[in-house]
This record gives sequence, C-alpha cells and structure tokens, in this order.
Amino acid sequence: MTFFTITHLINLLTMLFNSIEFLLFFPIVTLLFFLLPHNYRWMHLLVASCIFYMFFIPQYIFILFTTIIIDYLAAIWIEKSDEIKKKRYLIISIISTCLVLFVFKYFDFFNHNMLALSHRFDFYYPEKMIQFILPIGLSFHTFQSLSYVIEVYRGNQRAEKHFGIYSLYVMFYPQLVTGPIERPQNLLVQLRQEKPFQYSNLIEGLRLVLFGLFLKMVIADNLGVYVDQIYSKPESFSSLSILNGLLFYSFQIYCDFFGYSSIAIGCAKAMGYNLMDNFRNPYLSSSIGEFWHRWHISLSTWFRDYVYLSLGGSRVKIHRWAINILVVFILSGLWHGANWTFVIWGLTHGVLLIVEGLVNRVFKTQKDKGQNTIRKIFNTIKTFVIVSFTWVLFRATDFTQVKLIVKSLIRNISVSDDFSVDPKIWLFLLFFITLDSVLLNNRFDVWCNKRHLTFRWSLYIAMILMIIVFSNVDNFPFIYFQF
Amino acid sequence: MIPKSFYYKIGVIVIVLICMNYLYKYTYYEKDIQTHSEVINGVRKVVKDSCEVVYVGESSNTNCREDDIDKRSISAFIGDYYPTLRVGDITKPAAHAEIFYLLLKNIPESSAVKTVIVTLNLRSFDANWIYSSLEPQIQKYAVFLRGYPPLVGRFLLAFKGYDNRSEAELEKMYKHEWKTIELKVPFPLKNKTVKEWDRAMFHEGMKNPDGSKNYKLTELACHYIKTYAFQIDTVKNPRIKDFDNIVMLARERNWNLIFNFMAENTEKAQELIGDELIFLIKQNRDLLVKRYHRNGVLVVDNLECVPNNQYTDTTWTTEHYAERGRKIVARNVADSLKRFYPNHFF
Repeated sequence: MTFFTITHLINLLTMLFNSIEFLLFFPIVTLLFFLLPHNYRWMHLLVASCIFYMFFIPQYIFILFTTIIIDYLAAIWIEKSDEIKKKRYLIISIISTCLVLFVFKYFDFFNHNMLALSHRFDFYYPEKMIQFILPIGLSFHTFQSLSYVIEVYRGNQRAEKHFGIYSLYVMFYPQLVTGPIERPQNLLVQLRQEKPFQYSNLIEGLRLVLFGLFLKMVIADNLGVYVDQIYSKPESFSSLSILNGLLFYSFQIYCDFFGYSSIAIGCAKAMGYNLMDNFRNPYLSSSIGEFWHRWHISLSTWFRDYVYLSLGGSRVKIHRWAINILVVFILSGLWHGANWTFVIWGLTHGVLLIVEGLVNRVFKTQKDKGQNTIRKIFNTIKTFVIVSFTWVLFRATDFTQVKLIVKSLIRNISVSDDFSVDPKIWLFLLFFITLDSVLLNNRFDVWCNKRHLTFRWSLYIAMILMIIVFSNVDNFPFIYFQF
Repeated sequence: MIPKSFYYKIGVIVIVLICMNYLYKYTYYEKDIQTHSEVINGVRKVVKDSCEVVYVGESSNTNCREDDIDKRSISAFIGDYYPTLRVGDITKPAAHAEIFYLLLKNIPESSAVKTVIVTLNLRSFDANWIYSSLEPQIQKYAVFLRGYPPLVGRFLLAFKGYDNRSEAELEKMYKHEWKTIELKVPFPLKNKTVKEWDRAMFHEGMKNPDGSKNYKLTELACHYIKTYAFQIDTVKNPRIKDFDNIVMLARERNWNLIFNFMAENTEKAQELIGDELIFLIKQNRDLLVKRYHRNGVLVVDNLECVPNNQYTDTTWTTEHYAERGRKIVARNVADSLKRFYPNHFF
C-alpha cells in the first residue's frame, strides 16, 4: 500500500503547457495534422493525446479507456433500447463512470470520514487506507463522458459508432487535462468534419496560446509566490498583508485557470477546432449569479444542464429551488476536491446565491429599473470582495488554515511584518486588469483582429518578452490539475 | 495558405528578439544571475583576485565542526602552504563534476589561473547522487553557466528547458539501478545487487551488545551499502564524461590539473559492512586514479587518510571533515602542488 499526496502527483507531471516539451509537441502535432489526409487525422490526434496523457502515469491510460469503453457501449445500447432499458443503461453508465471517480478521488476522503465517525459513534471501521494518485484530469473527462451519455439518452445526440472518434472526443489533448468540459454537440461533430488549413485559425490559435502563457507564467506564477508565503504562515503577517494575499490569490487562480483554458482553446483553434469559452470577465460581475455565468462556464453550464434543470431548476416552489441550488453547489464543491473545505466553499456560494435570489425577488421592481453606473461599480466591487473571501476556503488545505487566516486578518492589524511586493508585480497586475477590462466579453484572439497591426505586434512582442524575462522559474503546476 | 507577410512578421520578431537579448543583457540579466546562478560569483572572484591556483569543490571544502579552532576551508589551508601564490576557491554545495566543468569553462582564457584543483568525490559516481532530488535544482542554476545568449538562457529557465525530472522519476531511476545492476567481484558475494544487499542488512540488522537489533546502526549500515556498493561503468557513468571534459578543458587552457580524491569514511564502512564493501570502494578508487593518471592528471588519493573521528556527520555518509581532517587533505594536496610550484612551498 502506497501513500501519495498532491505533491507526489504534482512531481509526476512532466508535460505541462508551459514546458519546453510542450513547445515542441504542439507544433509537431499541428504540422502533422495538416500534412495527413482527413481520414487519418483522428488516428494521429488520438495517438498524440495518448502520448500527452501518458507523460503522467502511463498505466493510468487503462483507467481512461475503461470509462471510454463503458460510455461508448452504454450510448449505443441506449440508442437501440426502449424507454425502460434506456434508463437502465443510463444509470449503469453513470454509476460505473462515477465509481471510477469515487475510487480514485473520493475513496480516501470517504475512509477518513468513516473512520472519524467510527471513533465518534464507537463502531468498528478498519483503519487501513488506500490512497491512489488521482489520474490527471479525471474529473474533467468523467464529466465530458457523462455529458455524452446523457445527451444520447435525451435524444440530442446520436451515439457515436466509431470507437476511435469517440475516444478522441474524451481524450482530445488540448482539453483532456483541465477542460473546457465539452459537449458532444460541439466537439464530437467537429471531430468528424474535415478541417482544411486556415491561416486565420492558426494565427488566432497562436494568439490564444501566447495570451494563456502570459497569464500563467507572468501573472499567476508570480502572484503564487506571495500567496504561498501568506498561506504558509498566516499568523506572522499583518492584516494588510493577508488582504494582499487574498487579492493576489483571486488573480492567481483566475489567471492560472484562464491561462490554461486559453492555451487549450488556442491549441484546438490552430487545428480548426472551436472549443467553448470558459471565462468571460468573471471579476466584472455585479452579482454572485452573474459570476457563475462568467466563471468556469463549461462546468457551471454542465451542472445547470444535467443537475439543476433535472432537479426542476427554478420552476419549482421557492424552498425546492433553494434546495436545488444547494445540491448543485455542494456537488460543485465536491467536484473540485475531496475535502470538506471545498464542500463548504460550494455551500457558501450556494447560500449566497439563494440570498441574492431572495433579495432580487423582494426588490424585483428596483432590479427591473436597471442599475446605474455607480450602483453597478459598487456591486462589482462587492461581488469581487465576497468571491475573494470565499477563495480562502478553496485555497486553504484545511479548516485550521482557514481559521488562522481569518483570525490573523482580524487580529493582526497592528502587526508589522517583512511582506513586501516587488513593484513589478503591481504593474503586471495593472496591465492584466486593464487588458481584461478592455477585452470585455471578447476573446483575446477576436479582440486582436480589430486592432491595428502595429499595436497588435507590439503587444505580442511585449508579451513574449514578459514571458521570457519576467516569468517565475519555480515549479508552479496549474492549480486545476489537482482536480 | 500562409501569406508572405507572415514570414516577414516572423523575421521582425527574430530581429526584435536579438535586440532584446542585448537589452536584457544590460538590464535584468545580472539580477537573474544573482537570483538563479550566484555560483558564478566564485568564478568572478578568482578572476578579479588574479588567483593562480583555483580550488573547485562542494561542501567538503568549507564544512567544519563546531569545536574546530580553525574553521577555515581546505582551500584556505592549502593557501597557507603557498603564501606567495594567490589561491582562490569556487565552492558550491552539492555540486558535481558537470558543474565544476561549467564553472571552469566560465573562467576567461585571459585570467591568471594556471593550476586547477578539482574535488573528485567518489559518491558523486553513485546512482543515488546522479539521480539525486537536488539534480533539477543543480541543472536549473547551470543554465546560465552554459554560455547561451542571455535571453535564450532565460527562455530555457522559464520553460524548464533543463533536466527537470521529477523527484519521483529520479527515485525510480536510482532504485532501478539498485535493483538491476549486478555487482561483479572476484569472490562469492551473497547479495548480487544493492537492493538484495540492503534488504539482507535490514533484516539481519546491526546488533547491540545484548543481541537486540540496533536500528540506528542498521539504518546507517544500509545507507553505506546504498552509497558505496557500485562499480563505475566508464562508458555510461555521466561523471566520467564530466571529469573527462575537465581534463580536455585543462589541456586546451594549458592548466595544471589536480584531482583531489576526497577521503571517505572507510573505517566506518569496514566496521559496519566489512571487506566486501571496502573492496568495491577501493576498486572504484583504483579505476579512477589509474584512468586520470593515464590522462596526465595529478590525482591526490586521500581516500583512507581521514580517521573516523574526523567526520562531522555520524549518521550519514559525507565528506565533511573536522579541522584535522581538512588539514590532512590540504597537506596532501599542497604536497602534490610542489610539482608545479617547488619554490613557493612554505
């Protein structure tokens, strides 16, 4: 029995998007893709995706293929069967796919809690634990597989008979590890289409890759140094430094995940595939509800379409609606990690959303009138502050750390510390905030299209230089890799 | 199709990057060197001080014991014997021959350096060190020593363009060697591999006077096996290539070259494990000494010259010596230096 931690997992990762290996892998795969005839491209992408995945733990590819086979067969049987059998196959598929997720992601969490309960209520529970290394991107491709089976069940998607194409749908390397969690109606259909070489696609794809690398390497990783400092010993920092840390984490996680998504979307775009957007200026949201329409869109819409609406959505009585919201957000928290901190993080957002929903119902008329600019700015700041505080639950390893952060934030007003931020970091942050605000609902690649050539190329060169000269050289894996 | 303008744009980027390389060189490069490769300061210092003799080593050069009266380094003690010569040192803990080579390469040809004394650490040939978890860190600071254009060096650092194998991967490598490489000796060896030997020692254990198992000593004995039970493969061992490179460089630069074969605690190895391990240690020593003698290098063999009580680490294998130990090594090196500086010895 081996004990592994997240650190072990992170240490095992080798082909990150921001590595020299990937800088070689991506152009080679893209070039070969266009050199090959359409009929062989799926094979090429599938092999490339397998190689990409096997850079992690090669044996784990069998786990991935197990879920692929289960859902591939289930979808075909669902399509062929009558209503009763259809449901049975759907349930079998969901349970077996989730079982893999449970074993690798939640088994240890379950065991710990059962053990704690056994001590509390005095019943026997064996103390031996088995902790596996979480297969990379398991939560993401599990959800992508499930969305396919559910869509086939609902009759929105025909079952894919070509095993290779279906495998590629689950394993498509740009989004295999951290999403965006795609839908079959979007990606599966595209995988069958012939994608001729288009210069504009290549350029837009490269722009997104560049933008993503900039977000990850210049902003997120540099902020990460300060965040780690604060979270490693919060009690020794002043309230102001901790606030600084919270602010930095908000941007670290945003730029980290947004960066990854941009690179993923860009890599796919270069080959002509359009993946769904994952972020749309989330920190410009003026409410928690709006935030969830703009943050990790592929996951929020997944929960909306397959859980929230299945439970009745908002077309039910108010208490039932509140329960639906809570269920969705607790599940969303749990999806992020097998830890109570994530559950409480999800629950907090659920409660906030319910409160917001109730307030909106009471003051419905006022909302209808629309918001004036000052009110909107106030609400945006308020939402950002709330979201930033809830990130504490997300970032902390356990509740002791959460408590320490909160305690230090309240008590350490007069404490002096040696926390100092390199002025460059503020400049980077300012640059990013400006860029993010200017993009306003536009994707970077599309926004660039509307800019003058000189401006555009100055921006590229500035970004390339900032990546080379100012990126953090320590190992900061993508935060969402652990999910 | 790709329009022609695309190639022009790429051309512009390349030109801009070349210009930026110079801009970077005169702005942030020095700061980055101080952050990531400060070891280069050692090279700069010996050049600036016009040192004629340079001692290159790892922590064994400077490490001392608390009760040492004279806490100076081996290189400083060597300097005592040659007061008329400028003896400098470049010391980087945990470094090995590849780094020594890169550091020496960074010494400008116009410098005053005439003689180079390089630490030859037997343990650095062992799988446990070759695949040490420190290796990625070492490779990281080595990037700026490799002589790439500054911006290329920074690019490689940013994108982890160096041997950045994970700790788990490295662990797998040395464990694989321990498991698979058979020790070939001219007498019957009960345990053919390091893994078998280590396991046998762990099960049998070192005993207390009352016959019970002494866990601390057993752990130390296992550690001695894992550290010294190996046979250098002159074709595959990367350290051989590194020392060979140093020899070549010294020839190119017309330097006198001395390899300072560091002392190992053979007394303890004999006490804990016995003749079989001592045989392997000496076999490796003989191989290295002969190999580099043949190549015209002066090898100072200190292997057995430091007694057990002069080792500062008692629960681990290191080349960290107390004052007398350091002085013994320094004396031996100083003696061999006479060959190049007979009139300066004091």
